[in-house]
Formats: sequence, structure tokens, C-alpha cells
Amino acid sequence: MDIQFAGEHLLPGQLGQFFIVLSFGTALLATISYYFATVKDTLDGSWKRIARIASGLNTVSVAGIGSCLFYIIYNHYFEYNYAYAHSSKALPVYYIISSFWEGQEGSFWLWMFWQAVLSNILIWKAKSWENSVMTTVMLSQTFLASMLLGVEILGARIGSSPFILLREASEGPIFSRADYLTLITDGNGLNPLLQNYWMVIHPPTLFLGFASMIVPFAYAIAGLWEKRYKEWPLSALPWALFAVMILGTGIIMGSFWAYEALNFGGFWAWDPVENASIIPWLTLIAAVHVILAYKSSGHSYFTATFLTIISFILVLYASFLTRSGILGETSVHSFTDLGMFGHLLLYIGVFLILSIVLMVIRWKEMPITEKDEETYSREFWLFIGALVLGLSCMQVLATTSIPVFNAAFGTKIAPPPNEIQHYNKWQVPFAVVVSIISGFTQFLKYKNTDTKKFWKKIRISVLVAILATAAFVYIAKVYTNLMYIVLTFAGIFSIISNLDILFDALKGKWKLAGSSVAHIGFAFLLIGALVSAATNEVVSVNTSGLIAVAGFDKVEKPRENLMLYQGEPMAMDKYTITYVGDSIDGVNVYYKVNYKDIDKKTGKIKEEFNLYPNAQQNPKMGLVASPDTRHYLTYDIYTHATAAPQIKEDKHEAHEGHSEDEEYDTPLTKEVSPGDTIKYTSGVIVIKAVNRNATIEKIPISPNDIAVGMDLEIITGGKTYTAQPLYLIKNGNKFDFAKTIDEAGLKLRFSNIYPDRNKLELMVYQKPAAPKKWIVLKAIKFPYINLFWGGTIIMVIGLLLSIFRRQKELRPAR
Amino acid sequence: MKRSSIIGIIIIAIAIGTIISTYADSSTYGTFSDAQETSSELHVVGKLDKGQQLIYNPKKDANYFAFYMKDNNGKACKVVFNGTKPQDFERSEQIVLTGKMVDGEFQASKILMKCPSKYNKDQVEVQEVKSAS
Repeated sequence: MDIQFAGEHLLPGQLGQFFIVLSFGTALLATISYYFATVKDTLDGSWKRIARIASGLNTVSVAGIGSCLFYIIYNHYFEYNYAYAHSSKALPVYYIISSFWEGQEGSFWLWMFWQAVLSNILIWKAKSWENSVMTTVMLSQTFLASMLLGVEILGARIGSSPFILLREASEGPIFSRADYLTLITDGNGLNPLLQNYWMVIHPPTLFLGFASMIVPFAYAIAGLWEKRYKEWPLSALPWALFAVMILGTGIIMGSFWAYEALNFGGFWAWDPVENASIIPWLTLIAAVHVILAYKSSGHSYFTATFLTIISFILVLYASFLTRSGILGETSVHSFTDLGMFGHLLLYIGVFLILSIVLMVIRWKEMPITEKDEETYSREFWLFIGALVLGLSCMQVLATTSIPVFNAAFGTKIAPPPNEIQHYNKWQVPFAVVVSIISGFTQFLKYKNTDTKKFWKKIRISVLVAILATAAFVYIAKVYTNLMYIVLTFAGIFSIISNLDILFDALKGKWKLAGSSVAHIGFAFLLIGALVSAATNEVVSVNTSGLIAVAGFDKVEKPRENLMLYQGEPMAMDKYTITYVGDSIDGVNVYYKVNYKDIDKKTGKIKEEFNLYPNAQQNPKMGLVASPDTRHYLTYDIYTHATAAPQIKEDKHEAHEGHSEDEEYDTPLTKEVSPGDTIKYTSGVIVIKAVNRNATIEKIPISPNDIAVGMDLEIITGGKTYTAQPLYLIKNGNKFDFAKTIDEAGLKLRFSNIYPDRNKLELMVYQKPAAPKKWIVLKAIKFPYINLFWGGTIIMVIGLLLSIFRRQKELRPAR
Repeated sequence: MKRSSIIGIIIIAIAIGTIISTYADSSTYGTFSDAQETSSELHVVGKLDKGQQLIYNPKKDANYFAFYMKDNNGKACKVVFNGTKPQDFERSEQIVLTGKMVDGEFQASKILMKCPSKYNKDQVEVQEVKSAS
């Protein structure tokens, strides 16, 4: 029997599911129609018309899917699994956007969305290329839509729909109740690490990069298919540059997010997921360079075609790595298998086989030159540079693919224990070669070069670079390792050579500026990455664990975490740091850490600032720490709390059955006289005077009664309080009225008078000192990391200039 | 010989080099017994022995974390990690350690743990921590 569930909003889900099916159908129809529009030369263009209508509907349905999903999350319809799993009511609107792509389905949608946007631009701008290029793009769109279908065909579930209901996705006794929704009041929430503004813009940028990789690929396929061998590289070039620019920006944004919000203490960790996205980026950069070589010299045709095609295949491979769950034990990022393993493989397989078949069929017709390039020609070194980039990718690919290798051959090889060292060992030399080539190739001309002029330029650049390197190596202290010095030289040489070209460009040949600016940016990026990765140092070195034993060299390794008690300053590096206290803002606890740079001689504070590393005391994830960083021009101080006491909310409430005095330690009883000063654990109490005419509220004092007050001054923690506990004898009975000073945690009783000794009795009750608050802190100094971020920005500007230039070249001369 | 052939040979040589190096640098998955016999670092997969105490007392030493893990053969061993206790360690379902045996204790340089995801029931999260190296 079907249960009528109460309170569900089924319409947006059904509408969304309809749009998914529609997007799949229209993408498939567009693929088929564009295919026939390409192969059949119908005069009336009827296939093309159908294809355009289908593409348009596809865009509408993709927008429809997004709107429905947003509507569901925005209105907190937790009957939907996606909203339940990835959002909660407390989430601000801008993070609803990030919860949108926390799940696999949402990120597939994002990819589809960008592909739809790009299709519209292609329909608008591609002209004679539209039919053949769009066939490939729409085929890819069909595959992406199928990932979201979530329908069962022949017992196998195809794709995973974001509109699946919670009761369909999980099982539980509550789902047999018609009113189960009343029990589900809030969603699971968004992973706190993703609640960062970079997570709002990093995924869209990255996915635009991935999505735009298909355009150069589609041009290459179309060029082979329609035998327009010589045309496609030129038309694909601006798109390839665009993809390089966007994907590069997306990757570095991810790296910036990791640096700002995660606590692994760095910006790049050679994690498989990072590798998966950088590999296609590097191969496409290589492709761009050989396309240029082909354009100007006719050489490197096959290399250009191959690299353009493989870049997109590697994008698909990257999504297979990250989404199939195969990385399992090797990566910190991981999605598990949503039953898409085979589906993702099919996606790669279809595009790979299509490309191989086309290349084999057209092999003999491809305009491949037999002749070798001249050694003193730009095309030759562009080609070599591309090969080196290819090799560098291959090395990253080989190690990243170890889990795939294990799955395919049933082996059990573990990744290198020291991955970073393993990658750097290869990648640093590759980076050196690439930088040097990117420098001197700028002085070469296509076809052939005047060797005298070339060597003259080289001599000057090398000389200047050596001087600059010497200075920089000394300042940045990278002289500890020969390879570091070599890479610094290579980067600086590239900068100097490209600056030379840039000056020429400024003299009038400004359209050449793009490449030199991009190369300068890239070289800065490399130097920045090298210096900050090689010379970053943990400054929170804990020396208390250091045991130096005379006669032994074995000194225990200094440890990297520092214990800080509230209010107790510690020396760290050149700073004196103090954990001042914490404050709570929403789910975050901010630990205020004060940094002071004190001049040892004068004792003056040269600099003072506070950092607020925070931690989410998340009931679902425990303590999730995020760093806080002090940025300087030449270095950063990066601080994060690696451990802190869990904040407990169960405050001890005063309740019956407990006497008030239980809260206090055993009292201190003293016999005092006016003028005395007594010490107690956290301060002093001065007995100022005795007030013999004290009055007590609401208690009338008759002449026979005695009411005495004791005027006290309490000095503790730099503050002074006054209090007057009272002593009363009324009708022969003794009473006393204690005074409490909550701020000081004190209760004072004037408990007796001893007329015989002329003494007064004072009882001091003190609350037990609260356990001292503490945090464990790790601080790292990252020198010259701004070169890394700055280099990226310069590179993006250079790429942008190049896109404009290549786009202009495409326009027919008037 | 043509220059392109020479380049081809060099490229192939480097490519083979990268693959050999991947294999040479790679490590193996093993058990605590395997770790006892070798002096090189290896990966040990296992589960946290929940019957034993986790030792982390930041007031005494903020950089000493020790626990007991059972490897896949069920052998338990004390594991020492020079760092702070990873967040949410108690909830881990599976642990992958990288390190080596020193005096009967496994010195972990890296801990990778899988926690049942709190954000998606059918999604598993993996966390990684490294000590000073």
C-alpha cells in the first residue's frame, strides 16, 4: 500500500527530473542533427535548424534543472536527499550556492551549465565550424546529462539524480510514517571547510576551465573529420588560450583556498585531485605552443593535434579519478563510487576511441612535414618545450595513477611514502628546462635566426640573470640546495628575456606583449612556489622537548606545535605571542592570539597585531580548524590551532540540595585588626576600618543590638574592589551578612568579634580557579609567497592579451 | 642519425626513467610483522584498537600522540605520531599509516584516516595528517 506522505513538495523535484530527461533528449537530438548537418549537404539547412532548436531547448532545460535544485535548497525542502545531505537552515544564502556543488550531481550540473553557455557562444560565433564542432560538444553534453538521469534501465541505475527523495535514498523506520517530515527538522549541513568565500567562486571557475577544454578538442576532431586540417588550429587557438587562462585561474584559486582555509599548511600538496586538474592544464599549454609553431612554420602538426585531443581526454580521466572512488586510500579529497564507475569509463572510452579512429583514418592526409626544423628556429624549441611539458605530465600521471594500476592489474603498490619529495625530484628539473626554453626561444625567429644577434642577446640576458639570481638567492636564502639555485636562475633568466621582448613590445609591437607577460607571470609563479615551499619554516618550534645530553649528538627533533596557556606570553621566532582569549561567532570559535615584536634593547614594541585562527566546534566533525594569516609583502605568518579544549555547554546551575558554599574552596579564616593587610591566593585584602554605625536593609536596629561593618579593599589582578561584610548581634543572637564579589570569585564573611583580644574574624571564601584555557598552536612562515599569487595574476593578464591578439588574427582582413 | 631520432630516443629514455622512478619510489602495503622485518618506510592499513587508550596530553607534550592499531591480520601495535591528535580520530573506520618500526613501536610519519562521512551517508571522507619530516 502506498503511504500518503504529509508535507512533501513533490512538484519542484518532478519538474527538475523532467528537465533532466529533456536536457538528455535535446542533447542527443542536437548531436544527431548536427552530425547529419555536417555530413549531408542539404540546401535548406533543415538539420541545422533542428539542431539549433534542440540546443536552445537544452540550454533552457539545463537552466531549469539549476533553478529547481536551487529552489529546493533555498526553501529547505529536506524531503529531497540533496538538500538534506548538503545544506541546513542555518546556512547563509551565499553558502547555499556552495552547497549546490558540494555533491557530485551539482558539480556535474555546473559542468553542463558551462558547456551549454559555451555552445551558445559557438552557435553565435563559430560560423562554418558550427555543425561539426557542435556535434562533439553536444555528444559530451549528452554524456553529462546521462550522469544526472538516475533512472533504471535493465536493472542498472544510470546516473544519479539530484532530485531523488530522502526516503528513496536512505532506508529507515521513520520513512514508513506518513508524517516523517515532521521529524526531519534540519539538514546535514555543509562541510565547514567549504564554508569559505573561495568555495563560492573556485568551483565555477574550475568547471568553466574544464568545460572550455572541449572546444579546442571539438575543433581538432572537426578539422580531421571535415578534412580542414590547416584551418582548425587557428580557430581553436583563442579557445585553447581561454581554457588555459580559466583552468589555471581555477586551479590557483583552489590552491589559495587550501592555503587560507585548510590546515595542511601549504598551497600545493601533490594530492591526486590537484594533479588530476593540473595535468590537462599543462598538456593544453603544450598544445598552444605547438599550434603556434604549426601556424608559423608548418611543423609539429601531429604533436599539436595529439596534445589538443589528449588534453580533453585527460579532463575526462581527471573526473574519473575524482568521482569514481578509485583514489580511495590515497587522497584527502574523495568522492566514493555513486555507481558511476562504468559510466565514467564509457565517457572516456567513447571520446578516446573516436579520436584514435579519426587520427588513424586521416593519418596519411595530415599535413605532417618530413623535414627537421632548423636548430636556430623558434618552431623547433616550441616543439621541444612542448615535449618537456608532456614528459612532466607523464611523470605526474604515472604516480597519480598508481591506484588505477592496482585496480586494473590486481597489484598492491602503495604510493611513495614521501610524495612531495618524489614529485619535486622530477618536476624541479622539468621546470628549469621549461623556464630556460621559455626565455631564449623569445629571441629566436620562425624558420631561421641570425645566430650572431641571438647569442648577443643571450649573453646579455644570462649575465643580468646571474647577477639578479645571486642577489635574490642571497636575500631569499635559497642557497641551501643547488637545484633551488638553478631553478631560481632559470626563472629569473626567463623573466629577463621576456622583459626584453616586452620593452620591444612597448615600443610599438604591443600585440606581442601577451606572450612575454604570460611567461613573466609563469616564471614569477615558479620562483614564488619554489621559495615559499623550500624555505617555509615552522616558527612555533617547541624547544621544551629538546633534551641535550652532554657527549651525545642525539638531540630530540624539535617539535612543531606549541602549547599556549591563556595569558601566558611565549617567545616564538622574533615575536612574543600570547593567547588572549576566545570569542564565539556562530559556529566558529576564534582564538585571539596577540603577536608582539619587542625590541630587546629598548623594550619598545616595534609591531603588534592579533591573529584569529578559528575552529568550528562542529558536533558532526569535531574540531575543524582554519588558519589565520598575517600578510606582509615579502612573507606571511600563518597560524592555526591544532588542538584546543572542547567547549562544554553544560554550565553548572545552582540548584537545591547544594549549599552555596559548595562552590567555594575551603575558606581562609583570619583574625584581623583595622590596618592589617592579608594575603590570599590571588591578591591582597586591606582592612581599612570598622564601621560601628552600619545599617542593614529591612532590619531595624534597636539600641541593644550591635551592627558592625568591616570596610575592606581587595586588590587582585590589577583591580581594586571594596566590600563591607556585616556582623550583627540582635537580641543576643549572632548573625553575619557576607558580601560576594563575583568578578574576583570571592565571598567575604565578617564572622566574629573577639573583644577580649580586640580582634575581628574574617573568612575569605574563594572560588576554585577555573582551569586555564589553552590552545596548541602551529605557526609557519611562508617567504615570498606573494610572488606565487602575483605571478598568477600577471600570467592571466598575459593570457588575456594573447586571446585578444589571436582572436583579432582570425578576423578576415578588410 | 637524424636529429629527430636522437630527440625521440632521449624522450623515450626520460619517459622510461619517470616510470621506473615511480616504481622505485613506491612503497608497499604491509602489516606490522612486515614492518618489523624492514627498515624502510611502508604503509600499514588497519583499524583503531578501541579497547586501548588514546594518549594525547597537550599539557605535557603537545607533539606526542600515541594509540594502538590492529592491522589487517589482527595484530595490535602501539603507534606513535609526533604531532597533535588528528581531529575526530576516535571516529575513524580505517587508518592508513606511513612509517616504520622503531624499538617495537610504529613511528608514523603520516596518518590517513577514513571516517564515516557525517555529510553524506554513502560518501566516505578521508583525512590526512603528517608529522614533521
